[in-house]
Amino acid sequence: MKQFILRRIAQLVLVFFAVTFLTFASLNLVGDPLFNIVGVISGIPDEQCEAVARGEIEDTKSSGLNMGDCALIAQAKEQNNLDKNVVERYGIWLSDMAGGDFGTSFVNGDEISDIVQERLPVTVRLIVLAQIVALGIAIPWGVASAYRANRTFDKASTVGSFGLLSIPNFALGVILLYFFTLRWQIFPSRYENAGWWSELKALTLPAFTLGLGLAATYQRLLRTDLITTLQDDFIHMARAKGMSDRHIMYRHALRPSMFSVITVFGVNTGALIGGALVVEQIFSIPGVGTELVEAVLRNDPPVVIALISVVAIGFVLINFVVDLTYGYLDPRVRTS
Amino acid sequence: MAQVSAANTQLLVRDLTVRFPTTRGTVQAVNGVTFDLAKGASLGIVGESGSGKSVTAKTLMNLLPRTAEVSGDVIFEGEDVRRLALQGREHFWGVKMTMVFQDPMTSLNPVKKCGEQIAETLRYHLKRDKKTALAEAEDLLAQVGIPEPGKRVNQYPHELSGGLRQRVVIAMALACEPSLLIADEPTTAVDVTVQKHLLDLLDKLREDRGMSMILITHDLGVARGRCDEIAVMYAGRLVERSAPETLFSDSRHPYTDALLRSIPRIEQPSHTRLEPIPGRPPELINPPEQCAYAPRCRFAQADCLESIPDISGVAGMHEFACFHPANTDRGREALASNLASGRTATGLEISSAGASS
Ligand SMILES: Nc1ncnc2c1ncn2[C@@H]1O[C@H](COP(=O)(O)OP(=O)(O)OP(=O)(O)O)[C@@H](O)[C@H]1O
Ligand code: SF4
Ligand SMILES: [Mg+2]
Repeated sequence: MKQFILRRIAQLVLVFFAVTFLTFASLNLVGDPLFNIVGVISGIPDEQCEAVARGEIEDTKSSGLNMGDCALIAQAKEQNNLDKNVVERYGIWLSDMAGGDFGTSFVNGDEISDIVQERLPVTVRLIVLAQIVALGIAIPWGVASAYRANRTFDKASTVGSFGLLSIPNFALGVILLYFFTLRWQIFPSRYENAGWWSELKALTLPAFTLGLGLAATYQRLLRTDLITTLQDDFIHMARAKGMSDRHIMYRHALRPSMFSVITVFGVNTGALIGGALVVEQIFSIPGVGTELVEAVLRNDPPVVIALISVVAIGFVLINFVVDLTYGYLDPRVRTS
Repeated sequence: MAQVSAANTQLLVRDLTVRFPTTRGTVQAVNGVTFDLAKGASLGIVGESGSGKSVTAKTLMNLLPRTAEVSGDVIFEGEDVRRLALQGREHFWGVKMTMVFQDPMTSLNPVKKCGEQIAETLRYHLKRDKKTALAEAEDLLAQVGIPEPGKRVNQYPHELSGGLRQRVVIAMALACEPSLLIADEPTTAVDVTVQKHLLDLLDKLREDRGMSMILITHDLGVARGRCDEIAVMYAGRLVERSAPETLFSDSRHPYTDALLRSIPRIEQPSHTRLEPIPGRPPELINPPEQCAYAPRCRFAQADCLESIPDISGVAGMHEFACFHPANTDRGREALASNLASGRTATGLEISSAGASS
């Protein structure tokens, strides 16, 4: 077990480096960070500024420059280490990050750590709520389907779950928004956070938007695994012991049937974060997703990199927890 | 053999029939099985694979799949078991009547601690609180001869050996002090050396608790010393039923006869070849209207192919279903004529080698 955790932590570190480096490198290679900081004057050729520096030409209109352009460029390069190569800059970024310094936005100069602190909890709460909705629906639903497999309820469930699976998130979000907010006005139309209750109300529809499709996925998996588990001898034994059907379904069959659901739970977190991004847009939720989109649109690489790193760490951490869950679900995993 | 009378009859099975509709046709798994079991008695059900032993047991335990079509009566201590099943009666199975399965490796829930699996029955049926139930579970583990029961209650099944697991299963089945225990080949999956210990344990528990038992086994030898009565099944029918001594010394059904000759005997030199029963088990889908054993029977005559033999003999003492029973004049005659012609009415070739009846 100890070894297992150590191995997992090593993996976690590796994945973290891989993801952050790739994001860092691609954003640095594709765009021109200098342009994002200083604007059009980034187009001034290096030779011209070098000439200015050597005193050969003057830093004035006559040489096609504005007063101080070269100084500005030099300062920007200095501050953001743009003279160094990507690997070096990545190293600097990492050590800053390790010291809790996420850097600042190129565009508006905001502290990125503030942005993360403000945005991340909202997204985390949304995703957690979505998973609760998904599991809360999928577990009783899967159990009910498997309990009387291939009977009317199960057949109707199959149709229902495929229906849910085939609706894209954004469409479901819009539909829910239309009915529950516009027509029946049960849920607020704007995100507000005046205490946990108002936030819960604001996050309910988005959580269902994300969670319903997932619930359908989980239900399919759980149903199949349950039907297999129900053939097992220990289920017969539990019935021979006279335990109630409910007890047998929930206390005996459920846990050994959760492996596929848990695996998908972990793997799907990436997709869920992606989905959260879209859903945050629809419901105007100030989460990581909305901020990420804004940062990309305003060409703000440090923010993008920081947010993607945070998401990547979250993904790896969740999968780590999922692996630990296997051990809880099956004691045999623990000892091997 | 324990005398069966209305007063001390515990289980009464009458004309039990079980069919499974499948895509290939209807499986006639159990056909008109009838027997009684007295309180505190033990009945051995013996027969080869597919003869319907487990289906019979599962019918009693209400464990058949929903597709199964069942008819006949099962009366347990005056109650109609099949009606209880329909009514969804609680605290009957597991309390009055319970069952132990063949494979201890799979009949315990792999993700629950052994103690918890025993305790849950006590909590559900007898409404014990958690602590009392676990203490009782530990006590039960001690009763079935598990060393260090205090440690075992907190172990998972995979941490125990096969023999210990089967003891846990037995402890689990006995938790609510059932009056009938059905043991379906409880020792087939464990080591030979462990087999005897487990069977002795079951015997002892049965006597201590005045419990009745149905012991299902492939092995006539196993049933012999431990049962008050033995019922032999073939193709879903009880073909012979009597006390073990009678069965072993004076069997009637040719299938029993063949079974007896296929078990090793102590008095035989160890190199004596056992006689396997030639032929294959019968088809249970659309069986012909004839004695199911006829294709493999050394005694088979023309009349065996015309109808299915009914149960005859002395009711409650020695019953059998055969037109030409072994160890009778009719049987000896039939066998002699078959041996003379070298073949039976179904065309099975036989020779006198090894023949004893
Ligand atoms: N659910 C089912 N659907 C269809 N056929 C079944 C079902 N359960 C049992 N059968 C059939 O019923 C027959 C009797 O099976 P059963 O399990 O009672 O045999 P058995 O005497 O216990 O054999 P074994 O010694 O191998 O345990 C077999 O032919 C089996 O294939
Ligand atoms: S003698 Fe006839 S009736 Fe008796 S077992 Fe053989 S075939 Fe069946
Ligand atoms: Mg069986």
